[in-house]
This record gives sequence, C-alpha cells and structure tokens, in this order.
Amino acid sequence: MTTKERILRRIADARMPAEAYPAFDFTPQRFEDRTAEFIRQTEAAGGRAVLADGAPLDELIRQLYPDARRIASRLAEVKSATIDPDATDDARTLCDVDLGVVEGLLAVAENGAVWIRQNIRHKALYFGATALLIVVPREAVVDTMLDAVGHPAFADADFDYGCFMSGPSKTADIEQALVFGAHGPISTTVVLR
Amino acid sequence: MSTHSRAAARFVADAARTAWHDGALWTVRAKRDRMAQSVPEWEALRAASSAIKRHTLSHLGHYLELFERNASANGMQVHWAADADEMNRIVGEIVAAHGGRNLIKSKSMLSEECGLTPYLLARGVDAVESDLGERIMQLLHRPPSHIVLPAIAVKREEVGELFERVWHTAAGNSDPAYLTHEARRHLRGKFLGADIAMTGVNFAIAEAGAFAVCTNEGNADLGTSFPDLHIAIMGLEKVIPDYRALAVFTRLLARSATGQPVTTYTSLYRRPAAGKQIHVVIVDNGRTESLANEAHRNMLKCLRCGACMNTCPVYRRSGGATYSYFIPGPLGINLGMLRSPERYHGNVSACSLCYSCSEVCPAKIDLGEQIYAWRQELDGEGLADARKKLAVKAMNFAMRAPGRFYGAIALGRFAGRLPHGVLNNRLNPWYGSGRDMPRFAPRTFDALWKAGLVRKACGTSDDSNPEKHRQTP
Repeated sequence: MTTKERILRRIADARMPAEAYPAFDFTPQRFEDRTAEFIRQTEAAGGRAVLADGAPLDELIRQLYPDARRIASRLAEVKSATIDPDATDDARTLCDVDLGVVEGLLAVAENGAVWIRQNIRHKALYFGATALLIVVPREAVVDTMLDAVGHPAFADADFDYGCFMSGPSKTADIEQALVFGAHGPISTTVVLR
Repeated sequence: MSTHSRAAARFVADAARTAWHDGALWTVRAKRDRMAQSVPEWEALRAASSAIKRHTLSHLGHYLELFERNASANGMQVHWAADADEMNRIVGEIVAAHGGRNLIKSKSMLSEECGLTPYLLARGVDAVESDLGERIMQLLHRPPSHIVLPAIAVKREEVGELFERVWHTAAGNSDPAYLTHEARRHLRGKFLGADIAMTGVNFAIAEAGAFAVCTNEGNADLGTSFPDLHIAIMGLEKVIPDYRALAVFTRLLARSATGQPVTTYTSLYRRPAAGKQIHVVIVDNGRTESLANEAHRNMLKCLRCGACMNTCPVYRRSGGATYSYFIPGPLGINLGMLRSPERYHGNVSACSLCYSCSEVCPAKIDLGEQIYAWRQELDGEGLADARKKLAVKAMNFAMRAPGRFYGAIALGRFAGRLPHGVLNNRLNPWYGSGRDMPRFAPRTFDALWKAGLVRKACGTSDDSNPEKHRQTP
C-alpha cells in the first residue's frame, strides 16, 4: 500500500458524516464609490493609487518617480523604459531596478488589492524592483474578493502565477513597528485609467 | 504546578516586558476588532468559513485527490507523506536529486512541526528563513513564540545587538526601520544565491490545482523568483474546494491575524514556469487521527491566523515560550493534546475559560470549550494534578453537609484574622507575587438572608425599575 492509499484509507476510516457545501446566502459588502474606497484602502496599506485621465504614462512616471533611472517595462507606451525585462535570461538582473511598470487586471475596493496575472517572463520584477507602478483599467474595480474571483478577468483566464497585491512589501516583526520594503518594493503606485 | 505556570513564572519576573507583550498583542486584537466591525457580513463570513471547512473535511479524500489530479495536470509534482520522517525524507530526496545547498525558506509552521530545518542543516543544506521575524529567531537559535509574529517577545535592543554581532550593523542602533533595511540588504544575497525555494501553503485550491501563499513581506515570492526548484509543504487540512472558498478565507485571514484587510501578497501558484519544477508535499502527521476524533476534529478547520493567541489573557501575559508544545496559546494547547496528552497536558491549565478565543476564531473553532473538555479527560488519562484532585475532594467533603460547610467558613474567617505572614507565605500555593489570600465576608449570605437583611439591603438601593430589581421573598 502506498502512503497515499494509506492516508486515504485513514480518512475513510475516520467516518466523518458528510456536510454540505454552504449556500452563500449573504450579500457581500457594497461600496457607494468603489474607486474612492479602493484608493482609501490602498493608502491604508501604505501604497498610492491615482486616477489618470488620459495623461501619458511617461508623464505620470516622471511626476511620481522623478529619480527613477533604471525603469523596466514591457508596455509599449512606456517610452521611458530603459530595460526590457523579458530580454534577460537571468531574473536576478531585475533585482534593484528603480522602477517596474506592469499591468494589473482588477482592483479590489475592500482591501486595496490588485490582481496581477503574470504576463512578463520573470515574476522577479514584481518583487525585486524598488518601486512598482501597476496600471489597471479603471472600470475593473470590484467591491470584494468574492466579486474578484467571480470576475471574468480572474475566472476565465489561464495563468501560471498570479498575485493579489495590496500596497508595498511590509513587516512589523521588530516590536510591531511598521516598516515598508521588507523584501519587496518599498513603494507601489496603482494607476487607474 | 504545571509546566506552563513554572515557565510563566520566569516570564512574568520581568514586569516591564510582560506589560509590553500584553499591550502589543492587545493592540493587534483591537485592530482585529475594528476590521471585523467594518465588514457588515462578518458573522456570515465566519459561518461560511466554518461550513466550508466542515464540508471539506467531510469530503477530505475527494478534495485531496482532486487537488492532486489538477495540480499534476498543471505540471506540478505531488507527494504524500504519512509523518514528519517521511516528509523530511521526501524533501531531502527532492533536494538531493536537484542538487544545490542554498535553500531559501518562507514561513511554514509545518516545517517547525516536522523539524525540517534541522534535518536539512544536518545534511549540509543551508536552509535560511527569509521572513524577518523567523530569521531573527533562527539567528537567536530560539523557536518562534507566535505563529504570525514569531519575534513578538524579542525587544528591539536584542535585535540590534544580534544584527551587530552577525552583520556588523551600527553599534547601539536599534531603530526598527534601520534594522529591517539592514536585514533586507543582507538577505538579498541569500535570495540571489538560492538554488532551492521552499514555502508553506495557506490554501490548496482543489478545483484549480493551485495553491495560495500569503505574506506581507513578499519573501515567499522573491524566494521562488530565482531557483529552478520550488518545494511547497502542506498539512492535508489545507485543501479547500474552490476559488470562492479562497475569497471567503482571504477576507477573514489577515483581518483576524493582524487587523489588515488582506495580506500584502496573496500569491497563486498554478503551473511551474518553463524549465522549472514545483513539488507539493501533502503531509498527514497525525491529522487523520484528529479527523477521527469527533470531539476535537474541529481543530482541523484552523486557518493559522493567531487571533486566539492575541486575545488570550494567559498567552498575552505569559508569552509563547512558556507552552511546552511548539504552537502556543489556545490553538497550541489543543493541538498539543491531540499530538500527545502525555507530553503536553501541562498546557491545559493555561486557560481562564473566558472563551474569547472561540469568539474571535474566523473558522468558529470552539477552542475554549475543547480545552475544558480536555481537562475533563485528564483524569481518565491518569494525568490530573494530584494536589488539585485532593483539593476538589476536600471541597466535595465540606460542601456535602451544611454543618461541615459552615464550619469550614468559620475556619476560613478565623484564618483571615491571623497575622498576614501565617497564611501568605511560600507554603501556600495560592500565595504569589501580587496575590494575597482573599478575606471572607464577616457574615455569610445564609446568615444575612435569615436575618432578613438581604431584602432590606437591596431595597435601599432600589430605583424606579421594579422589573430589574424584583425580589422574591
């Protein structure tokens, strides 16, 4: 008998009576202004979220990250990019770039999270960049995580790796003092447009 | 005295530290409350979370096989381990087959449970904890004292001294921001040099064949960004049916744990990148035994948020290192008893039966009630405290007959008039730092009642609400 068979046998022998999958008979939280709530929650998580009205991304990047020199992006419109993150075979080279500019598909109002489905070669950019700018369609703001997992942008898409990301990397492991940039980005900005 | 109270006596000897620990965790508990109150459907979410877990546990074999099938179809390699030894052996074999000695690890309570890190270190694999709190504890050679806040009992000055010793940081600088960024700088080298990544699993989604890892630091994701090999270890109760269940749990987990609406990163690993491998090890190690234990199988619903610890008045004032099981607090008391009552019954007294843990648990586990049940089971196991049994026998004898009962009270009242040191000394187990013997009231309730004084006493303070203070003669 393999270990798997032995474990499954022990589970069967435990004879826990069957219990039904619950009916979701409650309405998740609804926000009057989802976008405003998303911005509020992003700021509470230590990040920044801005509504961009047609302004070119390069202009926003210059405004928000004026000191960024090494900018990595696959987005064609980011002319200020100095690094094509997909061109390298070694993900390690993406560590410590000043700014990564990437795409997100959904924004969740209740917690400031952005659903990023990996569409670049190395996910190292999401975590190795010192700052991250995430571009999200402004109509893709949902109320809660329950709405996010039901949204076509999440549910209907195939992916290898994806991440709900809310604000910059953080820790409070030393005496509960909140510090940004534990291992990942020290700063994040979500651009809704 | 239980193992816990002996260890707690050492912890509380430092009153300032005890007060800080208590206050810091209470702050986390208060943040959790604010989060819970900001979600109108909070109680419905807790109910859904509990029901999803019960449903999954009652179909555990089905969901584990479904997860294995879908994860395998996605290109992951799934392994099964009956116990700690088998898990460690499997991980050791995967590492040996792949080659490499530099392993970067994100936090996993299962790895603590199975002693995986010492196992790997003994085989020449440099297993480095990458969560800041875990790294601090690893460098201090001490186990974590909280499942979410591993270094909560360590003061900033100690961290400063530690980093000064190992990384030559500025002498006397214990600023958390400075120390955190120094750790970031030094751990970057470990991330970049790693050839194996290891993570735990917060949720394994059966229908998707994917698993979720939740962190605030991003260490799990940075860790898995460079090596070709990612090993994820999971207790078999981590499997959940679908993404909808994941949404429910992610809405509860961080709110309950640290008072954040969600962890910074909720990452979904579904398919290994081209040329890379993901191995998932599903571990039993006593969990199927817990499943067969009807009275205590609820423990398998746990999300490992730590809310029960933050709210526990005993945990907050005694610290995690005082529990003999590697997980402390109400959760650890219960898991320890499921593991071995013989070895871990010294923790069941670390509970005031306030049941606050049951109240905050996002999976509605009846933690406090189960601790009470374990206490009842102790005598059957021959593990009850002999002195407490004797005391209960004496109480039983005294309370059976009114004559003996009032005699005992008179004796107690007399004892209360003795000079202070006669009773309040080291020979009396009740007496301790900051605690004297209570004084008996000058007259018993029975005597007051018979003298007609009870009614009169209440009557004088009566207000205009007769319902509230209605007396029966």
